[in-house]
Amino acid sequence: MSVSRDDFSIAFRSALLQRGGAQTFSVLSLIFLALIIFFLDIYGAKFTKPIRGFINDVVYRVTFLVSTPTRFFPQVSQDLTNYFNVIEENERLKVELEKYKSLELNVEFLKDENKNLQKILETEYFNQNLSNIILAKVLVDKNSPFLKSVIINKGTRVGVLKGMPVTKDNYLVGRIVETNYLSSRVLLLNDLNSRIPVTLDQGAQAILSGSGSSEPILEYLPEDYEVREAINVFASGKDGIFAPGTPIGKTNEDGEVELFVDPNQLSFVTVNLNIQSKGNL
Amino acid sequence: MAKRSFINRICNSGPLILLYYLCISEVDTNLEKVFEIFTLNFQIILIYFWVLKKPEIMANGHIFLAGLINDVVMGFPLGISSLSYLIIIFVGTYVRNKSVNTTIASDWFTFFMAMIFSSLLFFSLLNNFSDLSFSLSKIGYNLFFTLFMFPVFWILFNLYQISFIGSKDA
Repeated sequence: MSVSRDDFSIAFRSALLQRGGAQTFSVLSLIFLALIIFFLDIYGAKFTKPIRGFINDVVYRVTFLVSTPTRFFPQVSQDLTNYFNVIEENERLKVELEKYKSLELNVEFLKDENKNLQKILETEYFNQNLSNIILAKVLVDKNSPFLKSVIINKGTRVGVLKGMPVTKDNYLVGRIVETNYLSSRVLLLNDLNSRIPVTLDQGAQAILSGSGSSEPILEYLPEDYEVREAINVFASGKDGIFAPGTPIGKTNEDGEVELFVDPNQLSFVTVNLNIQSKGNL
Repeated sequence: MAKRSFINRICNSGPLILLYYLCISEVDTNLEKVFEIFTLNFQIILIYFWVLKKPEIMANGHIFLAGLINDVVMGFPLGISSLSYLIIIFVGTYVRNKSVNTTIASDWFTFFMAMIFSSLLFFSLLNNFSDLSFSLSKIGYNLFFTLFMFPVFWILFNLYQISFIGSKDA
């Protein structure tokens, strides 16, 4: 009995403290080091933030370079497919163009009407000043099973701050949750930690919650509200972060929201520098 | 002779290079697009196998650094992946010290223990010390598929070891 206990303690101690050969550091010393780094990062000592920012910038750049081959081949195959589909696409676009031409007149009318109504209500159009919007390239898009986020190549150097909304083709994509000098992390709408107030076509208010899958869900809908298919979902702007009316997606038959922008296919996004979060996001 | 030694060195570094590449690049073992629930923590399989079979080609310091890089890329608090990898090393080294002959079944069982300890530490630290929230079902699927795929990679790594490194365990 005592022999087996001795064996256990020897093997245990050896596993923790063993060094020599290729092992310069023992497991125990590295565990202590990792714990120190972890708690320094969590409790945010003053000097760790710039260090972390610098490490992030360097690692994101290296990740972008290292991932270039894996981006190149899918891009080439997609370009080739697009090339062969160009005639078919042209025909389809012509039909669509005709449809939109007829709608344009309607939109012009509604725009004028909207402006007049805003003047009557004396409300300022929230997203009037669009001069402060910057284009950013997606540096890293690592598909994690737990966190849905991307890294963009713009940081505090150009004025990106935590909480700013991120869009693609005017469709909402997510918001900034981490900033470094040269890069930032964008939390996507389908991340489990993402919650934003939205408004639906018929004026109902809800919270769009990321579910971890590609389709977020609607929570806190009015009682007895029945979610149907193809209802458009917009940012309500009630949080003061997202511009009201920014389109997000439309509902499907399961009551989930199909985003207008596929979060897995982002290469360029825009950041609205005018809007910044108030409070803790 | 020098050329062969260089090739041998590259082959020996293969698992470590793969570990660094998986941590720093966009390449992931998350096949959600193909099969919705299929996610896999390939790094811990890689670390466990080589710590068990050839610890001299997977230095602790390198694994620690790879963990830090993984945290930066994934957006986790710094040091948490390193800690989880170090737990894998610890269990792997302990099993190596205690056992003489190992089989795929015994390795599979001990890997299960290592994975449980490592994931327990990883998610309990994240849950208690960060604002990130996780779906329990996702964690469950991830653990299940990591465990499920272990024998497949065990065979592949074994073949690699026999073909390029040498079958003799230290």
